[in-house]
Amino acid sequence: MPNEAGGLRETLAQRGVSRRDFLKFCSAMTAVLALPPRYMPRVVEALETATRPPLLWLEYQDCAGNTESLLRASKPTVAELILDVLSLDYHETVMAPAGHQAEKSLMDTVEAYKGQYLVVVEGSIPTKDGGIYCTIGGHTALDLVQEIGGNAAAIITVGTCAAYGGIPAAAPNPTDAVGVRDVVKGVPIINLPGCPMNVQNLTAVIVHYLTFGAWPATDQLGRPLFAYGSRIHDDCERRAHFDAGQFVEEWGDEGHRKGWCLYKMGCKGPETFHNCPIVRWNDGTSWPVGAGHGCVGCSEPAFWDTMSPFYRRLPSVPGFGVEATADKVGLGIVAGVAGAFALHGVASAVRAKARPLNKTKVEVEEE
Amino acid sequence: MAKIAIDPVTRIEGHLRIEAQVDGGQVTDAWSSATMWRGIETILQGRDPRDAWYFTQRI
Repeated sequence: MPNEAGGLRETLAQRGVSRRDFLKFCSAMTAVLALPPRYMPRVVEALETATRPPLLWLEYQDCAGNTESLLRASKPTVAELILDVLSLDYHETVMAPAGHQAEKSLMDTVEAYKGQYLVVVEGSIPTKDGGIYCTIGGHTALDLVQEIGGNAAAIITVGTCAAYGGIPAAAPNPTDAVGVRDVVKGVPIINLPGCPMNVQNLTAVIVHYLTFGAWPATDQLGRPLFAYGSRIHDDCERRAHFDAGQFVEEWGDEGHRKGWCLYKMGCKGPETFHNCPIVRWNDGTSWPVGAGHGCVGCSEPAFWDTMSPFYRRLPSVPGFGVEATADKVGLGIVAGVAGAFALHGVASAVRAKARPLNKTKVEVEEE
Repeated sequence: MAKIAIDPVTRIEGHLRIEAQVDGGQVTDAWSSATMWRGIETILQGRDPRDAWYFTQRI
């Protein structure tokens, strides 16, 4: 049940998490949120004292991949506790009650904390044939997300399915699956796309909310700028090889063994906005490109259709290898590159326009 | 004779409904239903076969 007052301090002590570890966590979260270090004391204070609302984790057309991402949080000591102390009242994959009892704990929270609880949605919502392609307890996902999500303080979508429809919405979208923003209106919705989302970003969003009482600023796709504000390509550790014209040409070739750029193998990093190269996965040890496979663009809407075939290279990525082209090609290519840049910009703008705008803009106030 | 239904079945991956016919304390018949469908087989048709692993991982 919800922890109304009192903060994390006691819980942390009970579970053997040291003060030092807690401060390290707060410092890391301040960094992920791209806040100046002077905000750290505020993060610490908020996490220790803030009233924490109940959290309902709803699963619809999903594979539980985001739940896996949550449960395998590499630094569970504090991150998990944030969610724990948040009072995770409903999560089908991990909760003890089933059937009527599960439904009861869900509806109890909805009634007792109307307008105060947070909802996390994992998986898309099918709308075809009255929504029969996903039902829980005899209710359609569509009805459930509108009732439960519609009465929440805010909704956080985890994964590309809940954000934009994801794989069920890939052509030909047999169930007319959509993301939460298409069916729930009037509630702030923060999108954390990715396949799966990175739990570090989910934790950071919640920490931001607990610290400032507001949601982080987002882009036109509802994604927090701290996590989706820069291109994979621009933060990539292999970028120098792209600039130098050093590409993997074939799996297992010399370039692949040396960790060269994967652009020619179909990497979608130049079209994808996500903080994977910075935050990484598996305890911050690696990420797809670091492990030798191209980015598939999983945090972009409709990536299953727009980014596939995944092994086909992007047709016109701005920029050629500087070292490779400087002697050979000269100014003609430079003009071509400028053209490609312009085209790329137009294509991105058109793609962005195709999605409904629902810009949530909450700025962090200065002290 | 009574019929009971457990939906959702929790602590599993996916969506499951179990119905059981109970007769004098004994379950005499039972039905299970997977209550979610995405059509991944349909979505996979006509795609580059090299992409199949990435789609089917999401089942």
